Amino acid sequence: MTIRTRMTLWYSAGLLLSILVIGVLALDELYEPKGPSAQYSQGMQDYVGIVLWIGIPTVILSLGGGWWLMRKCLAPVSTLTEAAKRVTEHNLDTALPRTGNGDELDQLTAVLNAMTERLHQSFTRVRNFTLAASHELKTPLTILCAETETELHDESLAPAQRERFASRLDELHRLARIVDGLTLLAKADAGLVTLTLKPIRFDELVRDSFADLQVLAQASGLRVELAACEPVAVQGDAHRLRQLLLNLADNAVKYNQPGGFIRMALRRRGDAAEFTLANTGSGIAPEALPRVFDRFFRGDPAHGHEVDGCGLGLSIAQWIASAHHGLLRLESVPLQLTTATLRLPFPRGEA
Amino acid sequence: MRVLVVEDEKKTASFIRKALQAEGFAVDVCHNGAEALAAPGATPYDAIVLDIMLPGRDGLSVLRQWRQQRNSTPVLLLSARGEVNERVEGLDAGADDYLPKPFALAELSARVRALTRRGAENKSPVLSVADLTLDTVTHRAQRGGREIDLSAREYRLLEFLMRSAGRLCGRMMILEKVWDYDFDPGSNLVDVYIKRLREKVDAGFEPKLIHTARGTGYVLKEAP
Repeated sequence: MTIRTRMTLWYSAGLLLSILVIGVLALDELYEPKGPSAQYSQGMQDYVGIVLWIGIPTVILSLGGGWWLMRKCLAPVSTLTEAAKRVTEHNLDTALPRTGNGDELDQLTAVLNAMTERLHQSFTRVRNFTLAASHELKTPLTILCAETETELHDESLAPAQRERFASRLDELHRLARIVDGLTLLAKADAGLVTLTLKPIRFDELVRDSFADLQVLAQASGLRVELAACEPVAVQGDAHRLRQLLLNLADNAVKYNQPGGFIRMALRRRGDAAEFTLANTGSGIAPEALPRVFDRFFRGDPAHGHEVDGCGLGLSIAQWIASAHHGLLRLESVPLQLTTATLRLPFPRGEA
Repeated sequence: MRVLVVEDEKKTASFIRKALQAEGFAVDVCHNGAEALAAPGATPYDAIVLDIMLPGRDGLSVLRQWRQQRNSTPVLLLSARGEVNERVEGLDAGADDYLPKPFALAELSARVRALTRRGAENKSPVLSVADLTLDTVTHRAQRGGREIDLSAREYRLLEFLMRSAGRLCGRMMILEKVWDYDFDPGSNLVDVYIKRLREKVDAGFEPKLIHTARGTGYVLKEAP
């Protein structure tokens, strides 16, 4: 029950009670001491008439008025609720609207605003830290990579040593990709990355990505199928969408099983383009599913390090999808099928 | 050939200098933006390697200033920021190429080399290395007179390798030119494609033409 309903009920109950009390008192005062019983019953009729024809409409009117009054009083609360619902980690810097009249609600809003401002500052500090850290890591990484590379090209190296340097260089490159990914996400969080969205033929990107998928899958002995590729145009950044598609395709190959298959499809679904990529494999446990887009989340700790990756691929993919006002989600039936679905809305007026 | 390197981090600058000197370039080094601003006016350079993050004046503003002064020396931008927009921003400011840190030294040298011979690239419609030929008009490839069947992507990869025959093609460079990716996808896509290309181009033929530079990239050449 909302505060508004509760207060209206209490108010009307009070109203009804006072009308009854006043009525009884009035009846008592007017008729009882003076007249005989005939007059009394006449008075009783008058009394019932008054209650019916004046009292009840009064009660109804007052109820309506009360409802309206409550509504008006509590409207700022609804506004506040709606505004607070829209607060996420990405818009902590937008203050809730204040009425400025200094009443209790206005004070509450001010307190809430001060609270989100403190949160905003903490978030900003964490972001700046990630940004600075990833930047600071790059210089030593560049030097390490260069040193290892120089050593690797030393002609006098024994094959075993060369292999060791090469493997070290591979790991350094992986570290570099993690730092790159972190930088990108930290910048995206801080709203520093702007994508240039242009009309593009998404089906062409999907076809290209399917060609790459075929080659990647063949190397792992997997079957692939392009179930549908309907022509669709979306507003997008081709580089970033390619990155997203390759990331999904790469995962579908990496997390597959021997003799498995992958099915890709692009269809028009209402006001959006729907891209799906389904693959066989061990899949994702239901309890892990809500966390797959978390940074550095590994679905299966036992196998987490068997498969090479930077642990940020899906987080980046999800950021790319939302930067296109789209939605990326994963569904999985363990040991059967894991499906990634990307929905990209059509440009307005072209649904 | 003389190259100017503008990089504030001393150790990195020294690596770049050594790598470029090993390639036969004469190298000058500047450590800040203000110093760099005047340098190309005083000495003519064949290429410039410019770091974006510089103390005092950042690389992009130095680059814009050079271009305003009608200096058209090819510039390779280095960036530690790895930002999505930065590449576009850099190219808009007048850079000729862009390389995010950390980079492979071999890749840096290959890119500088490519910048200095810009225009002198092999433009002939038929490319050939040893007994491998690629007709860029009809998209037909032959080795030892035998026809090679290539997919569209394989064709682009082979064309890129053949146009830069004898020079190292870094993994990032291949991803950029053949796939139009501007990021390192962390996928073994390039290696898988090279493997397929080898099966078509090198299997059953001698000498082998596609060689691996472990950790950095690939090179197509006749001698091992």
